[in-house]
Amino acid sequence: MAAGKDSLFRSADMTLTQLYVANEIGREVVSALGELGVMQFRDLNPDTTAFQRTFTQEIRRLDNVERQLNYFRQQIERNGIGMRPIYDFTNNMAAPSASEIDELADRSQSLEQRIHGLNESYETLKKRETELTEWRWVLREAGGFFDRARGQTEEIRQSIDSSDDAPLLRDVEQANGSTDAPQQQSFSVMNIGFVAGVIPRERMGAFERILWRTLRGNLYMNQSEIPDPIVDPEKNEEVHKNVFVIFAHGKEIIAKIRKISESLGASIYNVDENGELRRDQMHEVNSRLQDLSNVLGNTKRTLDAELNQIGRSLAAWMIVTKKEKGVYQTLNRFSYDPARKTLVAEAWCPTNSLGLIKSTLQDVNDRAGLSVPTIVNQIKTSKTPPTYNKTNKFTLGFQTIIDAYGTAKYTEVNPGLPSIVTFPFLFAVMFGDLGHGFIMTMAAAAMIYWEKPLQRGKQDELFGMAFYGRYIMLMMGIFSMYTGILYCDIFSKELSLFPSMWQWNFPEGYDPEKDGVITASRVEGYTYPFGLDWRWHETDNDLLFSNSYKMKLSIIMGWAHMTYNLCLSYINARHFRTPIDIWGNFIPGMIFFQSIFGYLVFCIVYKWSIDWYAMGEQPPGLLNMLIYMFLSPGTINEKLYNGQGAVQVILLLLAVVQVPILLFLKPFYLRWEHNRARAQGYRGIGENTRVSALDDDDDDEGGHSAHANGRPSVESEMDGAAMISQDLDDEHEEFEFSEVMIHQVIHTIEFCLNCVSHTASYLRLWALSLAHQQLSKVLWSMTLANAFGMGGATGIIAIFVFFTVWFFLTVAVLVVMEGTSAMLHSLRLHWVEAMSKHFIGEGVAFEPFSFQLMLEEELTELK
Amino acid sequence: MANGWSLLVSVIFIAAFCAVAWFASPKGENQTVWRSTLILSAWSCWLMWAITFLAQWHPLIQPQRGDLRPEYNGGPVKGESFF
Repeated sequence: MAAGKDSLFRSADMTLTQLYVANEIGREVVSALGELGVMQFRDLNPDTTAFQRTFTQEIRRLDNVERQLNYFRQQIERNGIGMRPIYDFTNNMAAPSASEIDELADRSQSLEQRIHGLNESYETLKKRETELTEWRWVLREAGGFFDRARGQTEEIRQSIDSSDDAPLLRDVEQANGSTDAPQQQSFSVMNIGFVAGVIPRERMGAFERILWRTLRGNLYMNQSEIPDPIVDPEKNEEVHKNVFVIFAHGKEIIAKIRKISESLGASIYNVDENGELRRDQMHEVNSRLQDLSNVLGNTKRTLDAELNQIGRSLAAWMIVTKKEKGVYQTLNRFSYDPARKTLVAEAWCPTNSLGLIKSTLQDVNDRAGLSVPTIVNQIKTSKTPPTYNKTNKFTLGFQTIIDAYGTAKYTEVNPGLPSIVTFPFLFAVMFGDLGHGFIMTMAAAAMIYWEKPLQRGKQDELFGMAFYGRYIMLMMGIFSMYTGILYCDIFSKELSLFPSMWQWNFPEGYDPEKDGVITASRVEGYTYPFGLDWRWHETDNDLLFSNSYKMKLSIIMGWAHMTYNLCLSYINARHFRTPIDIWGNFIPGMIFFQSIFGYLVFCIVYKWSIDWYAMGEQPPGLLNMLIYMFLSPGTINEKLYNGQGAVQVILLLLAVVQVPILLFLKPFYLRWEHNRARAQGYRGIGENTRVSALDDDDDDEGGHSAHANGRPSVESEMDGAAMISQDLDDEHEEFEFSEVMIHQVIHTIEFCLNCVSHTASYLRLWALSLAHQQLSKVLWSMTLANAFGMGGATGIIAIFVFFTVWFFLTVAVLVVMEGTSAMLHSLRLHWVEAMSKHFIGEGVAFEPFSFQLMLEEELTELK
Repeated sequence: MANGWSLLVSVIFIAAFCAVAWFASPKGENQTVWRSTLILSAWSCWLMWAITFLAQWHPLIQPQRGDLRPEYNGGPVKGESFF
């Protein structure tokens, strides 16, 4: 097939190619093709599981490298170290050689160990530091307890006297009483032990309660809060802790206390009761802390330096690993021919890129110095090629809108092309306001001007969406400015570009209170040349006029849009060489639509073109005319033109006649064709294999396929040798009349009813533009109009304040919210009203193996 | 300034614009996009303008206001315009 120039009008011609690649350079070839990004490789081992494939080992290894790189990234992020952005690399990244990959794997292995070791020792050191800090606190606070306890022996004794059922304290009393002379009385002499330690503050209550209950009050507890939070090195979070000292009597009780405190997560520290020894301990702890913080600082510096080093090339490594992994995943789709030591691959690619692919493969071969060339075969196939519409950054947004609805059938007319204009234009009909359109245009222009920096920055969801559709926004803004001029609206105010076609004639001594409403008179022989006359603004009957105008506008726009899209179905039928779709669908459909709604549009235009008052006749109502055209054909109540009755009867008959044509022509033609082909001895190639082949249900085109199968079957017999791994389970379906008939009945009913409902649906253009205009008028009169009514200093401030409010609301409500709603309505008009007229869909999207696409998807989080 | 002939003139103008757009569109892989976008835009804009023009060509109702002061007679822009 001779491939023409690819354009957005229809998807690119695709060819199924077969590659024979020498085993040695398989990796290099795939990597070069990945850079090109124009081939979609078919899986030739669909029955093999992921574990049984040839290159699973390599992929596992790369997975490991990837895990290590992710570990580095986590560490880098945790330590707040900057990474060199990914954009420094993407463009000049050549495909890595195998040895580079090996080196990278080794390197990241050793680096991981090193980072891991550093991290571990850092954490151990940190833990020791925490312990020492806690110990220091215990020493300091416990010292305080001891000193206080000494000073309060008197009080203790008194408290013991008053409560003689406190056996523990009696001991204290006895001990104290016996040796009362030296104040430095040792507790051990009194047979009192103590436990000192640190416990998280929130556990303190539970700790106290448990101790109290298990020891039945046989303890004396002292605690104090540590003012600074202590950092837990494992979880890296700050914890508030308390120091406690518990005095109790007897070894067993002390042991119990130790157990309880340990089970509650307290850490117990050794404190000497002797003041001198305690001071020594304190010294020691302090000096050890000093040393430790030195070592810690060093470790941290080494770790940071190491991570810094990694951060400088981490993004590049990640790209290399991702690419390499992609290459092996693709290689896994190849089949290996052990006899000839070649890899065999099948891939879809745009026919126009074949030359590029061949020259690239040649380059790879030359570089490798291999004498065996890589062979590219084109295979004839009856498989449906994938749909590929090549987009650029301008068309991407529009194409996405269409693809969101469904993937177009291979080489059918792509609605993405006309929607570049029709989508923003229908939006603008609803959004028409010069001022709001200007704001939108400026916003889009700014996004386009700062495209690069914005693309690289982090985007939140809402902004990301607006940014993705920046070119759509630009078109919407420009068209909104145009429709705004036609509607004569700028921020709801009028726009007097030309002299008005109306003038006010005041009667002599006019007094608005007495004389009331005055009516403007027409300037003779002059029509306002561009857009609505601004004199209509703020008149009493403004809405009467603009509603009638906008309703008719919507109908005519809808008619034009639908007719245009109906014509695309003609182009499709021509392209797919199915004349029956022209005679059985397009022509009767078109006649049906035009004889009702084309006639309505004609009447609207005709009524506008006639100067009814000059003729001295009463203008007829068009709505009633249309209704009575169906209810009582032939009778005319209000005449629009001579011979109207006859014309309407003929049109109505014409429309009615189309219904059976729509219903029966195509199914019966297909049946006749099928029977004729059978009579001549042709059979679909699927039919004889059908008994054994898997029943495939992927084709509900019905009649098409049976018809289309006649041709390829002839070809495939000739090229049978080339179809190596071909499939007999595709696209072959027996002709079944009832199915075709049902399909056609549904189509006919849908089409006829939709003609009515879709035309009515375009009235949303009127409704939304009315709502938009009224809302902006209300906003103006509630804010700025009030401010302009005030005088003096208040007026100045009020204007300032109200302007802010007005501007903010204009942007937020009228541009963003109303804009979104108008956009959604325009989207609906395209998806439902327009695309139902011609869109076949059922396509399979082209997903090429492309490094660029892969990296875009996977590395967005690296921004 | 503007009367029924404007319709004819505008159609000729748009047709001429389309012809220019068809031939002057930059060559290359985006030629189709250029052509389709320019021509479709031109006709969409023309259609909208033509509808607006037709609606006011032989208007059936006149503007009416009850809140004008007699001093306004003739309006702020009398006879002449910006252009």
